[in-house]
Amino acid sequence: MNNEKKQLRILAPESFRRSLSRRAFIQGGTAAAGFAVLLGACGGSDDAATDGGDSGGEATGDYSRVINKSSGSLAMYTWGDYNDPDIIGALAESELGVTMKVDYYPSNEDLITKLAAGAGNSGFDIVVPTGPYIPQMIEKGLIQKLDMSKIPNFVNLDTAYISRDWDPNNEYSVCKNWGSTGYFYNKTKITRKMETWQDFIDACMNEGSGDCAMIDTAPNMCGMWYWANGHNWNDQDAAKLDACEKFLVDEFAQHIKAFDSYPSTKLAEGAYSLAMGWNGDIRQAYSRIADAGGNPDEWVWVLGAPATELWMDTYCVAAGAPNPDAAHAWINWELVPEISIKDLQYHGYNTGLKNMDTLVAELAPDLKLGEMIFFSPDQVATFQTQEITPTLDRMVDIMNKIKAKAGA
Amino acid sequence: MSTTAPPRTVRLRAPRFALALPSIFWYTAFFVVPILLVVVYSFGTKDSSKLVPVDFSNPSTASYGAVFDETFFQVFRSTVRISITATLLCLLIGLPVAYFAAFKVTEKWRAIVLAAVVVPSFTSFLIRTVAWRIPLAPNGVFSKWLQDIGLVGDKGIQILETAGAVQLAIVYNYLGFMILPLYVAFDRIDIRLREASKDLGAGRFSTFFSVTLPLAGPGIAAGVLLTFIPMCGDYVTATVLGGAKGNMIGAMIASQFNQAQNWPLGSAMAVLMIAAVLLTLVVGATIVWLVPKLLMLIEPVTQAWRRARASRPRNVGSKPSSISATADTVLHRTLGVWTALVLVFLFIPVALVFLHSFNRGNSFTIWSYAVSTKWWGELFDGAVFAQTALLFAAIVVAALVARRVLKRRSQFGGGYNAWIVPSGLALALVVNGLITNWYANLFDFSGIGDAIRNSFLAALGATIVAVLLGGSAGVALARRPGRWSTAFMVVVFLILVTPEIMEAIALATWFPRIQDLPIVGHIFTAGWGPFNGGMNKLWVGQSMYASAVVTLIVRARLSGLDESLEQAAADLGAPPARAFRQITLPLIASAMIAGGLLSFALCLDNAVVSSLISEAGSTTFPVALLGATRSTIKPFWGVGAVSLFFVTMASLWFLVVILRRGGASAGNIAATLTGS
Repeated sequence: MNNEKKQLRILAPESFRRSLSRRAFIQGGTAAAGFAVLLGACGGSDDAATDGGDSGGEATGDYSRVINKSSGSLAMYTWGDYNDPDIIGALAESELGVTMKVDYYPSNEDLITKLAAGAGNSGFDIVVPTGPYIPQMIEKGLIQKLDMSKIPNFVNLDTAYISRDWDPNNEYSVCKNWGSTGYFYNKTKITRKMETWQDFIDACMNEGSGDCAMIDTAPNMCGMWYWANGHNWNDQDAAKLDACEKFLVDEFAQHIKAFDSYPSTKLAEGAYSLAMGWNGDIRQAYSRIADAGGNPDEWVWVLGAPATELWMDTYCVAAGAPNPDAAHAWINWELVPEISIKDLQYHGYNTGLKNMDTLVAELAPDLKLGEMIFFSPDQVATFQTQEITPTLDRMVDIMNKIKAKAGA
Repeated sequence: MSTTAPPRTVRLRAPRFALALPSIFWYTAFFVVPILLVVVYSFGTKDSSKLVPVDFSNPSTASYGAVFDETFFQVFRSTVRISITATLLCLLIGLPVAYFAAFKVTEKWRAIVLAAVVVPSFTSFLIRTVAWRIPLAPNGVFSKWLQDIGLVGDKGIQILETAGAVQLAIVYNYLGFMILPLYVAFDRIDIRLREASKDLGAGRFSTFFSVTLPLAGPGIAAGVLLTFIPMCGDYVTATVLGGAKGNMIGAMIASQFNQAQNWPLGSAMAVLMIAAVLLTLVVGATIVWLVPKLLMLIEPVTQAWRRARASRPRNVGSKPSSISATADTVLHRTLGVWTALVLVFLFIPVALVFLHSFNRGNSFTIWSYAVSTKWWGELFDGAVFAQTALLFAAIVVAALVARRVLKRRSQFGGGYNAWIVPSGLALALVVNGLITNWYANLFDFSGIGDAIRNSFLAALGATIVAVLLGGSAGVALARRPGRWSTAFMVVVFLILVTPEIMEAIALATWFPRIQDLPIVGHIFTAGWGPFNGGMNKLWVGQSMYASAVVTLIVRARLSGLDESLEQAAADLGAPPARAFRQITLPLIASAMIAGGLLSFALCLDNAVVSSLISEAGSTTFPVALLGATRSTIKPFWGVGAVSLFFVTMASLWFLVVILRRGGASAGNIAATLTGS
């Protein structure tokens, strides 16, 4: 196969590919050959809202851009639609020399079950657990220590996103991206003023009854009740858990239409008029709604209040990974600013690199709905990070009952 | 009838079940023990700190109590309700179609109707289920049109994420499995019996209800079994369409294992589900057994009624023939229209999958009002595709030329000639690396290419296992029955009635336990040769149901033929091995091939077992798609499904051509396909 062709192959229509090479040509070919690909690919992002338009090539600032070539295939087990298809497709092949195989799971529990069932032979190289789940995965021997010498681009991360409680020395995990949780509603159908979790709960139980979707994970579902009632969702008080169960199972469950962690497409289909969601997925909902001929202006995103979640998903290498070398190369490559921002434009989550403002201004000046990706310090102050406590088991049980009750 | 030669008795010292030994071993290791283990789990308690999250220190029946807890039990009831309703609907919708195909149309149209029933099922089950989201979406084109003409309110169609959507899709998904056995049953009815009934003065309706329907009984029973049991364990349909309200027990069991990590509760649910399925079947069988008896009781009444009816036309003295002729035409037309409607219904999602693979937008289910081949371009590398097609065409031409030349020169009989093209083609494909490498270059997006390849590899391996196991066990059952065969048939029956989700969790929890065994463990972890551990697991998982089906088909085929041929061969001095090769094998070949075809189709679509046991590197198309349904499905999944459809159709066509050359008629294949 012609090597040059392979480098320029991106997931975009032929006509677009042609315009892209022309544009690269007009810009005088200042960018190195590898970044010509990046440049074009940034514009090739396939959602209208995430389309960043032209980028300025390489970002200024002091970033490490080591790319370790690797080979073979790399199996990643991750959350749905969580990387730019260009990056896991053609770019990984041309830049890293690896062929990505990606499978998806809907919750951390699913991930853990799958890895435990394989007990070191699941065949996955990279997994993307949420931070707080890392200690139990270490304990069960499901992930292996990283070789940080193979991840020199780690220095690109903002110090806020390293050395977190769950992995104080980043021996096992590297931040992939982080985000928060809120909700999304159609203001022509839900006309009341919506600002807090309590508003969301009230709307779901009244005008939105039978028309609302919840994130399909136990901590988020129970967390909603804790936040709405002004509690910290890591509170281990048994009485609060009982109250949470009583309310959610007996009073709330019957109003739920679906448990859906990625409601964006179904929102566009018109399946729900309000839904709990993660900021990146809801951001994509705007473009999907436009795709489906709907009016995105009718829809409103509300970040959960008075408190809400800060979650961080991390790259880890699975125990018994068949290709750990490629796994390290991938993690390192994802920390290259241009790749990281390209991914950010696609999935709409903050990838946690240092000096993010400048980076975005330089690499993705046309980024839309940036307020759904980057939160103000005031907002971040209300965020709570999940802690894995014995209550998680109980929350999972509560979720189980909610599901049974909702189906009744 | 024949005298048994002394040397032969010496040779036959092997136990009667010797030929069934591989199956006995296979079913013990991968069905009986794992399922028993699930039963054991159901008495444990949840302990999520362990790798196997079950604690056996204080066994209890608490999990069973929890299932009978009001909330879970409601899901149970609604599952059985949805399944029974769907089975009855399938029967009501399918019966006229099967009747029409069997009695009212010419041979040519019969083939067309049957093909039209079968063809949609060669499109991935999962993508067809997903495709129902397209016409049902409240914001969709169809819904907007209905709003415009005022048939539905402002909110559009409100059926997605409800039990209604699940009900609809389940009827759709299993209708074909009802129509085919019904057709075969009708087709086997001796037409003279129906004629006799009419000659004796019975009307159209009495003939249907007193002659045709009772004779079709076994077909109805087969259809009910083939639809009801998979429905009970269906978790794909509910996951994709059901939302919170359309939850079914299969989905709930899967979530106990995957999400809640509550294996005891999931196991208890699974055990109770099998019990519920068996109970429903027993109740159903009792009803079927009772109804004729009750009818017998009122026989005098019906006889009198019939006599009265039969004498009525004479009393009136009008022109019965013309009335009857008009009625015949009306009936014929009505049945025809009904069949056409059902076929349209069957093709709606398939057509939508095709259409939406050309969708310009970014999600499969949302039509962008613009046609584009962009997703095709993204999935396939055009140049490589053209190259491959060209190469393929060249090989076909070369094979045809070779055949012409050989035909002219050779002294071979026609039978050998027939094999030249297929075998030459296969050889050329292997030599060119097309079979082994085509997927690697053809797809730009390697994930789908790998998934399609893995689907084929898994289905092929499982089919080979199923045919070997089922073939030998079928022969043993038919030729060497004994006390063992009752026990064996119970296991086969259990495999057939165990909902897939139960087998899935049984295997998913069994493999981690055996992975430290010396050789077996190595096979299921590291794999062997080019096949990884996950692929080996898939072969085991997918072969289970398929081998049970092949066993039944082969047994049925041989039971119809007595052993005189084999005995004659033995009398003529053929040793058992030779008698088997030259007599028995040709007898069961068509049954094995037909069983193999059916297995292949079933395995290719297998989502439930596969998704619970598959690993990275052995992800099949349905498993990958099931993963993708959790977020946004891109239109290239439609492209993948369409490609898979064409590849499947091509392979089946290839097989049918070989079968035809081997002498089996298409009708035979269809009949054996449905397991009757």
